[in-house]
Amino acid sequence: MAVEMKEQQTNNEPPCTSNSLSNYLWDDHPDEEKWADCVHCGMCLESCPTYLETGQEQHSPRGRVHLIKSVAEGKLEVNEHFMDPVFQCLDCRACTTACPADVDVGGLIEEARGQIRQAMPLKGWKGVVSRLFLKDLFPHKNRLNGVGGILKFYQKSGLQKAVRKSGALKVMPKHLVEMESIMPPIQQSVQKKYKDVDVIPASSKPKARVAMLTGCIMDVMFADINQSTINVLTYNGNEVVLPKNQTCCGALHVHAGDRGTGKKLAKQNIEAFRDAEKVIVNAAGCGCALKEYPELFRNDPEWKEKAEEFTKKVEDISKYLYDTGYEKPHSKLNKRITYHDACHLAHGQGIRHEPRKLLNDINGVEYVEQPNADMCCGSAGIYNITNPEMAGAVLERKMENVPRDVEMISMGNPGCMLQMAIGVQKYGRRAEIVHTVQLLDWAYQQDQKNGLGTSDDKQTIAAREG
Amino acid sequence: MFFTKKKKTPRDPTIEHLADIVGKKSILYKKEDLLSYDCDGFTIHKAIPKAVVFPKDTAEVAAVVKYCSAHKMPFLARGAGTGLSGGAIPLNGEVIISLVKMKNLLSVDFENRQAVVQPGFVNLKLTNSIADKGYYYAPDPSSQYVCTIGGNVAENAGGAHCLKYGVTTNHILGLEVVLPDGEIIEISENGLPDAPGYDLLGLLTGSEGTLGIVTKITVRILKNPEGKQTVLAYFDDVENGSQAVSDIISAGIVPAALEMMDKTAIEGVEAGTYPVGHPDDIEALLLIEVDGIITGIAEQIEEIMNVCRRWNVREVKVAESEEERGRWWANRKTGFGAMGAISPDYLVQDGVIPRSKLPEVLRNIRKISEESELRIANIFHAGDGNLHPLILFDSRKPGETEKALKAGSDCLKACADVGGSITGEHGVGIEKIEEMRFIFTEEELEAQTNVRDVFNPDGLLNSGKLFPTPSRCMDVKKVM
Repeated sequence: MAVEMKEQQTNNEPPCTSNSLSNYLWDDHPDEEKWADCVHCGMCLESCPTYLETGQEQHSPRGRVHLIKSVAEGKLEVNEHFMDPVFQCLDCRACTTACPADVDVGGLIEEARGQIRQAMPLKGWKGVVSRLFLKDLFPHKNRLNGVGGILKFYQKSGLQKAVRKSGALKVMPKHLVEMESIMPPIQQSVQKKYKDVDVIPASSKPKARVAMLTGCIMDVMFADINQSTINVLTYNGNEVVLPKNQTCCGALHVHAGDRGTGKKLAKQNIEAFRDAEKVIVNAAGCGCALKEYPELFRNDPEWKEKAEEFTKKVEDISKYLYDTGYEKPHSKLNKRITYHDACHLAHGQGIRHEPRKLLNDINGVEYVEQPNADMCCGSAGIYNITNPEMAGAVLERKMENVPRDVEMISMGNPGCMLQMAIGVQKYGRRAEIVHTVQLLDWAYQQDQKNGLGTSDDKQTIAAREG
Repeated sequence: MFFTKKKKTPRDPTIEHLADIVGKKSILYKKEDLLSYDCDGFTIHKAIPKAVVFPKDTAEVAAVVKYCSAHKMPFLARGAGTGLSGGAIPLNGEVIISLVKMKNLLSVDFENRQAVVQPGFVNLKLTNSIADKGYYYAPDPSSQYVCTIGGNVAENAGGAHCLKYGVTTNHILGLEVVLPDGEIIEISENGLPDAPGYDLLGLLTGSEGTLGIVTKITVRILKNPEGKQTVLAYFDDVENGSQAVSDIISAGIVPAALEMMDKTAIEGVEAGTYPVGHPDDIEALLLIEVDGIITGIAEQIEEIMNVCRRWNVREVKVAESEEERGRWWANRKTGFGAMGAISPDYLVQDGVIPRSKLPEVLRNIRKISEESELRIANIFHAGDGNLHPLILFDSRKPGETEKALKAGSDCLKACADVGGSITGEHGVGIEKIEEMRFIFTEEELEAQTNVRDVFNPDGLLNSGKLFPTPSRCMDVKKVM
C-alpha cells in the first residue's frame, strides 16, 4: 500500500526522552483522562461541520480523538498527516454539546496542537505571518491601536475607495478581498477614551462595580461594541472599570497551538483582574477562553488555583444582564431579527436563551429563530484566514439557514460578525450584522432622547437567581 | 493558507484504479486517515482497511464492487459507523465502501405514505424532513441522530418505539442492491407491500452487509399519532419494576415504548450531558409512552399508573410538557454514550428474553457482575424483553477486556438459557459470532451460510461476520 510515513520533522531535540510508547514528546500533552471518556459511540458526527462537509471519520470529533489517542499509544507519529485533521477542526465545540459523556474534545485538540507546533514549528512565510499576528500584534495594545489608526486612515482618507476602484484588490487571495470589503469602520478605542478615568460611573443608582475585558481586536475593530457594552452596563446601575494591565485573552494562541504565549497572557489577565469581583466579556471566544484558563494550568497547581478563582468571576454580558436584571427599553425597534449562536457562547459557555431574551425584550422586534442557529459560521477565530476553503463551505451551509427576509442578524462574538458580514455580502443578503448589546444600547439611547424610561416609570426585568 | 498540502498521486495500482472510479478526493489510503476506520461503535476488535472509498452514486458502488470482485479483494459497506457489534470493522483489510456521501432524500410520496432515501441518509433527518406535514419514520434506534438508514437496514435496527411499531424490516418497502459481483438489482421496485415470491426484502434486511450493498431504500412513513403521553416511574426494587412491565403488557396495553434503566445506568445518564435529576437511590426506573388517538390515552395512562402503584412505585408522574418529555428521552437515548462519564470502556450486549423471565434474568446478570467484578448497567427495551446489559470496564487494565467479553457472553447465555435470543437489534457482527452456537446447531448454521453463499459465493463481502466458522473463530482470536 502506498502509505508514506514521513519522518518526524523536528527542529530541536525534545527536552526529554521516556520509555513510554507515546509519541508526544513535550510536556502538557493531550490528557489521557479526556479521551478515556470517549466510547466511540459516534453521537458527535452530525454536529461536526467538518464531518458534514467531508463525510470522513478523521475529520470528525471521535475520529480526531481516536487519532490523538493513537499517537499516545505509539501507533501514529506527530507528522503532517496527523496535523491535518487536528488543525482542520474549527474548535467550535458543537461536539461537546452533542456528546453524551461530555468528552472535552476542544481541550484535546488544543493540547494536540501544542505538541504539533513544538514538533513542527511553522516555517517560512506562514511562520512569519503567524508570529506577526499572534506574538507581535495581538498581545500589544499600543501596536494594535497603531494598526487601528492606519486602518482608520485607510477608511477615512479615501484610500479605501481608491484601492477598491484601482483593482489592487484583484491580486489578493479571494478570501482576503472578502475580508477587506466588510471591514467595519474604525472607532475610537475605549481604552484610549477612558484612559484617565478610574471608574466609569453608573448613570442610574449604582448597584455593582464590574470590570470589563476590552479585548485586543475588539477594541480596535469593534470599539463601538465596547462602547455599547459600557453604555448598557452603566445604564443599568453598574460602575465599570477597565483595568489597564489587561491584555489579549490568548484564545487565538491556544487554538493555534502556542500554549506558551497563551499561558503568559492568561497570567497577565489573572493579575490584571485580581481586584475585580466580576469580569464582563462581550466576545464569546474571549469569554470562553477566560473560563478555560484552569485547563491551561492543569499541570501547575499554583496557577490552576488562581485561574479557578478568576474563572468564577468571568461572565458574558448577556448572561450578566439576564442574571442581575436590566431595564426594559421603551423605544421601538421595528426590525425582523434573527439570532446566530456563537459557538463559544452556545457550546462553549452554554449561553443560549439569555441573549434571545434580551432581543425579545426590545419593543417592536420581530424575532425569527433560524434553523441550526448554533451551527458554526466558519469564522472560528482566525480559521477563516488559515483554512479559507473549509471556512467558506461552512459559511455557505450557515447562510442557507439564515432566513432570507431578516433585516438584522444579532450575535455575541466579533469573529462571527466579520464572517457573517462576508456571508451577507457574498450571498447577496441585506441583513445588518449587529452585536446583541448594540441593539439594547440603541434602544436605551432612543429612550433618553425621547425622555422615556427615566426614574419611576422604568420597568425593570427582575434579576434571576445565580 | 497555513496548512494546505498537495495531494500525492498514489502509486498502488489498486488505489489508482479505485481513485479512477470515485475520484481522487473520494478515497483515503494513508495510514493516518485509515486509522479512524479501524473500528465502528464496537471498539474491542480493530483492523486497518486497505482503503476507504466514498462513491456518490449506485454506479460508482457497482464499479468498485466489480473491481474488488474481479481482483478477489475483500470489501464491505459502512454507514455512520455506529454499529455496536462490529459489522463495519475491516477484519480482513477490506476496502471500505463508505456510503455517507449518498445522503439524499430522493422522494416523498405522502399519498402512498412512502419515502425513498439513499443509504447514507441519517435516520432522524427523515422524520425532521416530513414532520411539518405531520408524518414520521418510526424505527428510532438511540443513535438515530447520526446513524444512517442504510446501516439500519443492514442491522435491522430497532429502537425504543419498536414495541408497538415494529423494527426496521417492518418499514422497508423496496431496496436497490448491489450484489457482491457488482450486479445492480431492485427488489419490490414499486414499493408495494407483500410482493409474491420469496420475501427477499426480509432476507436482505438484517443480513448485516453480507448479502449485498443497499444503495436505495423505499421506506414506510407514518402519520403522527394524534396524542402522546409519557410516564416516568421510580422503583425501589428492580423486581417490582419488572413485574410492573409484565402487568402493563398483560393488561392489554400496547405502549409505544416501555423502557427500563437500573441503578448503575441511572448513575451513568445522570453524570452525562442530559441529566434529568433522577433520585440517586432508586433501583430502577420505567419510561413508558402511550400514543394513538386521543380518546383512550388518559385511561391507559391511568391504568399504567395504577399498575405501578400496585408494585410499590416510589413516584410516578406524567410529562407535563413536550420539553419535559424531550428531556426524559434525551436522557434515555444518549444512555450508552453517557457510560463514558463513569467508565473508560463499555461493552453492550443485546439479549432478548420472554418478558416473564425478566426478574430471573436480571438476577442472573447481577450474579455475573459480582463474579466478574465488573459493573453492569442495564438500559433496555423492557416492553419487548430486549435487554442491553452494558458491561463497564477499563481496557487499560490487563485482562479486563477479556473479563468483559466473558461477562458479555455469559449474559447472552443467561438469555439463551431461558429460551431467549442473543440479539434483538444490534446484530451479531463479530461480537456475538461464537454465541450464535447458543441458539443454533451446526446444521442450522450451515443452512444459513448456504443461503449466504448463493449471494456471496467468494465470501469477499463482509466476511467473518454473522456466522461462526471454525477457521473464522481462529482469525478473530488473532485479532484480539
